[in-house]
Amino acid sequence: MWSQEVLALSRRWLLMVLRERLNLLFSVLQPAVWLVFFAGAMGGAVDARIVGTGDYVAFAVPGVIAFTVVGNGVSAAMPLLFDKETGYLDKLLSMPVRRGSLIVSRFVFQVGMNSAQVLLILLVALALGVRPATGVLGVLAILAVTGLLTLALTAAAMALACAVPSHGTFFAVTGFASLPLLFMSNAFVPLSAMPGWMAVVARLNPLTYAIDAMRLLVLRGWGGGVPVSLGALSLASGLLLALGWWQFARRTSERVA
Amino acid sequence: MGLIIETAGLGRAFGGAIAVDALTLAVSPGEIFGLLGPNGAGKTTTIRMLSTLLPPTTGTARVCGHDVARRAGEVRRHIGYVPQQVSSMGHYMLTGREKAEIEAALYHVPRRRVQARVSELLELVQLSACADRLVQTYSGGMQKRLDLACGLLHRPDLLILDEPTLGLDVQSRHHMWDHIRSLRDEGMTVLLATNYMDEADRLCDRLVIIDHGREVAGGSPAALKAAMGVSSLDEVFLRHTGHALREEVG
Repeated sequence: MWSQEVLALSRRWLLMVLRERLNLLFSVLQPAVWLVFFAGAMGGAVDARIVGTGDYVAFAVPGVIAFTVVGNGVSAAMPLLFDKETGYLDKLLSMPVRRGSLIVSRFVFQVGMNSAQVLLILLVALALGVRPATGVLGVLAILAVTGLLTLALTAAAMALACAVPSHGTFFAVTGFASLPLLFMSNAFVPLSAMPGWMAVVARLNPLTYAIDAMRLLVLRGWGGGVPVSLGALSLASGLLLALGWWQFARRTSERVA
Repeated sequence: MGLIIETAGLGRAFGGAIAVDALTLAVSPGEIFGLLGPNGAGKTTTIRMLSTLLPPTTGTARVCGHDVARRAGEVRRHIGYVPQQVSSMGHYMLTGREKAEIEAALYHVPRRRVQARVSELLELVQLSACADRLVQTYSGGMQKRLDLACGLLHRPDLLILDEPTLGLDVQSRHHMWDHIRSLRDEGMTVLLATNYMDEADRLCDRLVIIDHGREVAGGSPAALKAAMGVSSLDEVFLRHTGHALREEVG
């Protein structure tokens, strides 16, 4: 029963995405543009001693993955946002559907989409000469990290979608928050190269731990840093999941017309 | 079965504002029961409480024998709610058949029966020929018929229709009325919220008129008209609720 609900809702999410081909195409191409044009150009301007590698593209791959997951996190909440505004959420809530299925199906779908996109980014990176130090197992570990980060960001976006009065506020907040979230992390610059205060802020940012883990897997290998970063990321995901669940429960138990 | 809808002193307040006040309804199996009232009278709030979307603040409501607040899950299994807004927005990229199949799964129609059940209902509302077209290409009447079909997927005991013919042309309205009547003839109980007095007059076995959250009149359309010695339900409605314009709230 539970799987029937999650499958049916995931089918709805998938059909909605597949029918908008151009939208899909551009979202898929976006990270490649970052790798080729941004990382490719920045590489020449970056000091190898500061980033710890002469291959800036390899350094930037985890940053581009994180950026992609952030962007997709925003679109993760779109159906909830619009179902809320069109009244279809009411129809869904009048059905004998477990409230959890509405969220879980979104997680399943987002993790699937993001995994496909991460594999594509790694393929583009491969074409640019980036070989992950940890090989195929490392790629699986990167997918696991991306999965955790997807859970965290999807939960945060769904919580925001529940809390805002309309999609205007949602896009104003996410539009404002996306770039600082990215730049206040180690996505494109190592923490050691940041002003002290910024490094402190970046250490509070869950993205930093996801990127840290992926960067170690791409550049160095399996080391002590990977589990530490994964632990911090899991903690952040857990907190954001709790926040998302609380907001969703609040919104669905009593919706004021 | 006993009463399909049974409320006692049902009320809902939003902060200090009382939207529905001590409403007592009794709807029997197999009847079309109308819920009438000016905008802001409490129709939507009542429907939201009966379809488990909003918990009551006072009184109780039982739908198909289950309390809407304490046994919401059971109530949801027995009702088919067809909202006022056509659901094309969330589904404009889906075909009519896909939308119905997805909702059938959400109503827990057994997997192997989903396709047959969906085809059967699309046939019933005369959408078979357009079943594989995107919902966004449907006319308003087709979208309403699709929504009606989707409310019937799990063979509910109670169908809750919120303004089922809002914005439809004359042909589509007559078709919709025929559908609703034939459902009643097969034993379905229907709760119908409408602003159209001609619709209520043609369809409803009994109805209540509510205003400011309270029942101001109730009975069969014929009895209500006879009691006032008037020929139209419009007249009955206006005498009970006045001519002043209402602000839309709740």
